[in-house]
Amino acid sequence: MTDSQTVLALLMTPLLSAVIIACFLRRRGTLASIVSVAAAAGICVFTVMAISGSGGEVIRVSANWLQFGDFKVSMGFFFDGVAMTMLTMVAFVGFLIHVFSLGYMAKDKARGRYFGGMSIFMFSMLGIILAENLIMIFVFWELVGFSSYMLIAHYFDTEKAKAASKKAFIVNRIGDLGFLVGIAYAYWHFGTTNLEVMRSAVGANPALIDWTIAALLMCGFIGKSAQFPLHVWLPDAMAGPTPVSALIHAATLVAAGVYFLIRITFLFPDSVLNYIAVLGTGVAVYAGFCAYAQNDIKKILAYSTLSQLGYASAAFGLGAPGIALFHLITHAFFKALLFLGAGTVIHGCHHEQNIFKMGGLLKRMPVTSVTFLIGMLALLGFSFFGTFGFAGFYSKDAILIEARFESKYLFALLIGGAFLTAGYMGRLYWTAFLGKPKSEAAANARENSIIMIVPLIILAFFSVVGGWIEFWPQELGGIIREDIAHQENNEDYEHLHHTVLILGSAAWIVGLLGSMVFYGIGAKEDRLKQTVRPLYALLKSRLLIDELYDYYVAKVQQRFAVLLSFLDVFLIKGVLVRGSAGVVGLVGTCSRLLHVGSIHAYVYWFLAGLILFWVLATGVSF
Amino acid sequence: MTQTEPFSLLLLTAILVPLFAGILLLFGARFGTVTRKALGILGFGWPLIVGVLLFSQFNPLLAGGYNFELRAPTGLEQLGIYLHLGLNGISMPLFLLAGIVGFAAGWYALYSKAERPHLYLALLLFMLSGLMGTFASIDIFFFYFFHEFALIPTFILIGVWGSEGKRAAAMEMTIYLTLGALLSLIGLIALYAKSGVESFSLIELRDYLAAQPIAETVQSNIFALLLFGFGILVSLFPFHSWAPKGYATAPTGAAMLHAGVLKKFGLYGLLQIAAPLLPEGAAHWTPLIVWLALGNVIIIGLITIAQRDLKMMFGYSSVMHMGYAFLGIATLSVVGIGGTLLLMVAHGLSISLLLMLSTCIYHRSKTFDMKVMGGLAAKTPVLAAFFIAGIFASIGLPGFGNFWGEFTIFVSLVEHEETRWAIIPAAVGIIISAIYGLRAVANIFFGQPHKTFAARLQEGDVVDLKGFERFSALVLIGALLIIGVFPRLLSDNANRELLQISSYNSQSSLPITEVNNVAFAEIIEDQKEGFDE
Repeated sequence: MTDSQTVLALLMTPLLSAVIIACFLRRRGTLASIVSVAAAAGICVFTVMAISGSGGEVIRVSANWLQFGDFKVSMGFFFDGVAMTMLTMVAFVGFLIHVFSLGYMAKDKARGRYFGGMSIFMFSMLGIILAENLIMIFVFWELVGFSSYMLIAHYFDTEKAKAASKKAFIVNRIGDLGFLVGIAYAYWHFGTTNLEVMRSAVGANPALIDWTIAALLMCGFIGKSAQFPLHVWLPDAMAGPTPVSALIHAATLVAAGVYFLIRITFLFPDSVLNYIAVLGTGVAVYAGFCAYAQNDIKKILAYSTLSQLGYASAAFGLGAPGIALFHLITHAFFKALLFLGAGTVIHGCHHEQNIFKMGGLLKRMPVTSVTFLIGMLALLGFSFFGTFGFAGFYSKDAILIEARFESKYLFALLIGGAFLTAGYMGRLYWTAFLGKPKSEAAANARENSIIMIVPLIILAFFSVVGGWIEFWPQELGGIIREDIAHQENNEDYEHLHHTVLILGSAAWIVGLLGSMVFYGIGAKEDRLKQTVRPLYALLKSRLLIDELYDYYVAKVQQRFAVLLSFLDVFLIKGVLVRGSAGVVGLVGTCSRLLHVGSIHAYVYWFLAGLILFWVLATGVSF
Repeated sequence: MTQTEPFSLLLLTAILVPLFAGILLLFGARFGTVTRKALGILGFGWPLIVGVLLFSQFNPLLAGGYNFELRAPTGLEQLGIYLHLGLNGISMPLFLLAGIVGFAAGWYALYSKAERPHLYLALLLFMLSGLMGTFASIDIFFFYFFHEFALIPTFILIGVWGSEGKRAAAMEMTIYLTLGALLSLIGLIALYAKSGVESFSLIELRDYLAAQPIAETVQSNIFALLLFGFGILVSLFPFHSWAPKGYATAPTGAAMLHAGVLKKFGLYGLLQIAAPLLPEGAAHWTPLIVWLALGNVIIIGLITIAQRDLKMMFGYSSVMHMGYAFLGIATLSVVGIGGTLLLMVAHGLSISLLLMLSTCIYHRSKTFDMKVMGGLAAKTPVLAAFFIAGIFASIGLPGFGNFWGEFTIFVSLVEHEETRWAIIPAAVGIIISAIYGLRAVANIFFGQPHKTFAARLQEGDVVDLKGFERFSALVLIGALLIIGVFPRLLSDNANRELLQISSYNSQSSLPITEVNNVAFAEIIEDQKEGFDE
C-alpha cells in the first residue's frame, strides 16, 4: 500500500463501519459495537502505518470533485506534521472512548444507532484533519455537526435531548454562515482554497491577506469551538450519553474549531488575531465563573471545556498556533479522562448527576476517584516546583508565558482563569468524592466493570506524561517544538518564566485550598448559594445570554414569522390574488345588471351612451 | 447519426409507453389488481430504465451537444414545428430526474388506497409522459405542449383526489398556473416571431440569434414575459401563493411529480431557452431577479418557520428553495447556472421524498399538525431515519446533492461585483432552513408525545414504514446520495454544455496571478501519487 492509500483507508474505515451498521446491524447491538470498536482500532493501526510510512514527509493527494466554469472543487489530503499530531490524538482518544462505550452503553437498547453514530463521527472528524482545502474542511465540518446532532439526540424521548440537539446544530449553523461566505470570498480572492497554495500566495505577497476573509472564516471556529457568543450550545449538549460528551464535546469536535484556525494561520492579520486573543481570554474567565453555579457534574466539566478552549484560542490569537495545538492535545487527554470518570460516577450512581447528592465516592469507587484526581491535577497545571508536571502544566505554562510576552492584562486574566479553574474543580472534587454519601444511589455506588476502568487508567497515564514533548515521536509536534523554541529564544525568557511559574502555581494552589476551606469536605449544600445569594444568582444566570436568545427566538423571530405568514395569506393571497379575481367578478356582475331584458332599459342605456359619446367627442367644457 | 438511431427511438418510447399505459388504464375499470399493477409498473418503470440507459450512453463530445436526436414531421411544418427530440448536458439530468421521481411516485401510488385507482394511475401516467416529453424536446413548441399536457392532469388530480379544501386550491392553482403558462407562451411566440427564423427548433433559434441578435429593448420585453410567466410556474416571490395550499391538498403522487419535477419546467425554460437566446434581455432583469429571489429565501423562509402544518411547511419550503435557484440564474454565469441545475435535480428528489414521507406520517398520526405529535421515533425508527435523511438533504448537508447545488450558487454570487452583496442575505437561508427542518424533526419524532397523540400511538396501525414506502423512499435517498457523493456524474456534461453558451461566459474574474501559477505548478509537481495510481 502506498502512503496515500493508507491515508485513504484510514478515512474510509469508519465510514464502512457506519454503512455496515446502518444497513445490517441496527437491531444487533453487540455486533454493531464490535464493528465500530474494530473500526476505531483500525484507525489507530492505519494512523501508525501512515505516520511511520511517511517518515515525516508531507503526504499530498488530490482529486477533482466538481467543476463548473472557473469554479473547481477538489478533494484530497494534506497530511503534514500538524495533521499527524491531531490525528494521533483523535485516533487514540477515540479508540479508548469506543472501548469505554462498550461498558457504558452495554444495556442501551439503541446501541446500533449509538455506535453507527460514533463511526460517522470518526469519519467526519478524520476528514477535517486530513482535508487539503477549505471546501473539503467545510464538507466534513457539516458532517461533524450532523453526527454531533444525532448523538446528542440519542435519548431522543427526553425533552432535554430534543431541545439540545436542535440547538447545537442551529447555533453551529450561525457560525457556518460566516464560514461559508468566507470560503466563497476566499475562492475568488485566491483562485483556490487549497491550503498550501493559499499559504504560498500569501507568503509571496502579504498584501493578499484580507481581514474580512479571516474574520468570516473565524465565525466557523466560534461556532464549532463554542466561543462567545455562540457558546450556548455546548453545556446543553451534555444531554447526550457521557462518552459522547467525552469524545465529541470535550476532546475532538470542539477542538476542531481551533485546529481549523491553526490550519489557516497564514490568513490572519494582526487585528483579527488580537480579537481572537481577547475573545479567548474572555471566554476562559467567563466560563470559569459560570462553572461555579452548576451542580451537574457534566455541566461543570462542560464549562471547564469552554474555558480551556478559551485558553487554546488565546494562545492562537497571541501568535502561537503551535502552543494552541499543544493545549488541544493535552486537554484531550485529561478532559476525556475527566468526562469518562464522570461517566463511571454517573453509571455507578444510577444516573445521578448532581454533585451535592454524591459524596464519599473515594471509598466506593477508588480507581475512578484516583484517576479523576489525576485528570483534575493535569487540568489545573500541577507541577513539582516547575521541574516535573502533569500534561496540562506544560501547555498552560507555555500559554501563560506567551501571554506575558504580549500583554500584561491578558496574562493577569489568564492567571485569574487558572485560579477559577482550580476553585470549581476543587468544589466538585471535595463535594462529590470526599465526605459521606448524600443519597442512596451514592451510598450503593460500586466500581464499574474492567472495560470501563482500563481506558481510565490509560488516559490517566497519558494525562501525566502527555506533556513531555521531548519523548514524543519525532514526526509529531513539529510546530509545537518550534513555538516553544521560539519562546525560549526570547531574551527575557528566563526571567519571565520564573514569575509565570510562581504565579501560575500559586493560582491553582490557592484556588484548590480556597475551595476546600470555603465549601468544606463533602458539603451538602452550595455554600456560595447560601451566603452570597446575589453573586450566585448572577453566576447562575450566565449573564442571561441563553435567556436573551430564547427571548429572541420565541418573542421576536417567531412573532415576526407569524406576522409575515399572516400578511402572506392576507395581503398577497387575500387581497392581491383574490382581490383581482374579485374585481373581475365584480365587472361581470355589473355588466350583467345591464342585461335586464326590457326594451325600455336598453333605450335608456342607449341614450345615456349617446350623451356620453357626445360629451366626450365635443369636449364640452362646463 | 445512424448509430444513435435505436437510442433515439428509445427516447421516444419514454414518452409513449407511459402514455399508452395510461390510455389503457383509463378504460380499465374492470382490470384486476394484477393487470393494473403490471401496467403501472411498466408505465412508471420504463422511463426510468430509458433514463438510466441513455445516461450511460450519453456522449458529451457530440457536435452540437444533442444526443439521441429524433425529428419527426407533425403536419405543422409550414410553421417550423417538428417533433424534435434529443438530450444535451443540461436536459439529461432533468430527464433522469423525471424518470426517478416518476418511478418513486408511481410505485407509491400503485400501493396507495386511492378511490378509482385506474383513473388515478392513468392521470399520473399522463403527467409522467408529459414530463419526459418536456425535457426531451428540442422544439420549443413541443417543450411547451408537453408541459401543458402534464399540467392538466395535475388540476384534475387535485380537484378529485385532493384533501380538505381541494376545490379552492385546485381552482386557484389552475387559474394562476394557466396565467403563468399563458404569459410564457406569449413570450415564446414573440421570440419565434421576432427572430424571423420561422422555426421553433431551439438549435436553429440559437444559431440564428447568435448571428443576428434581437434589438435590446425587444429582448428585454420578451424576457420579461418569459421571466414572469416561468416565474409564476416556479413560484417566484410574490407569485407563490398557489404553491403551499396546492401541495398541501394535492394527492401524494401528484404533489411529488409537480413539486419534484413539473415545477422545474420554468427554471429549465429560463436557463435553457430564455437566458441563452436573450442575453441582453436577461442582463437587464437580473437585478430584479436577485431581489425577488431573496424574497423567496428570507420572507418565505420566515413564513415557513411559522407553519404548524407539516405539508404547508413543505409547500413553503419548496418555494423558499426556488429562491436559490433563481439566484443562480441571476448570476448568468456557468458557475451559477451549474449550481442551479444541480439544485433543481437534488431539490426535486428531496422535496418529493419529504412530501411522500409526510403522507406516511399522516397515515400514522392522522394529523398534519406538528404541535400535537411527538415521540413518533420510538414507534417508527425507520420512518424517522428516512425523514431525518430527507430533512438534512433539504437543508444542504454535504453527502446529499442539495449541498453542491446550494454551495455552488453561493460561490457564484461572489464571482461578480454586482451580486456579491447578495450572498450574505442568501446564506441566512441556511440557518432558516435548519430551524424549520430540525423543529419538524423534533416536534414529530422526538420528545414525549402530546397528550392526544399518546393515545393514538397505542393503536395498532401505528407501525413502521411498510415495504413499498421503504422502497420508494430508498430510490429517492439513493439518488440523492449518489449525486451528493459524485456530483461530477451530472456536472461534467452540464459544464461542457454551459461553456458553449456565450451569455454565460462573460469575463472571468478568477485571479490567476503569477504566484498562483507557480504555486500550483509546484504542488502538482509534488502530487505524483494520486488516487488513480
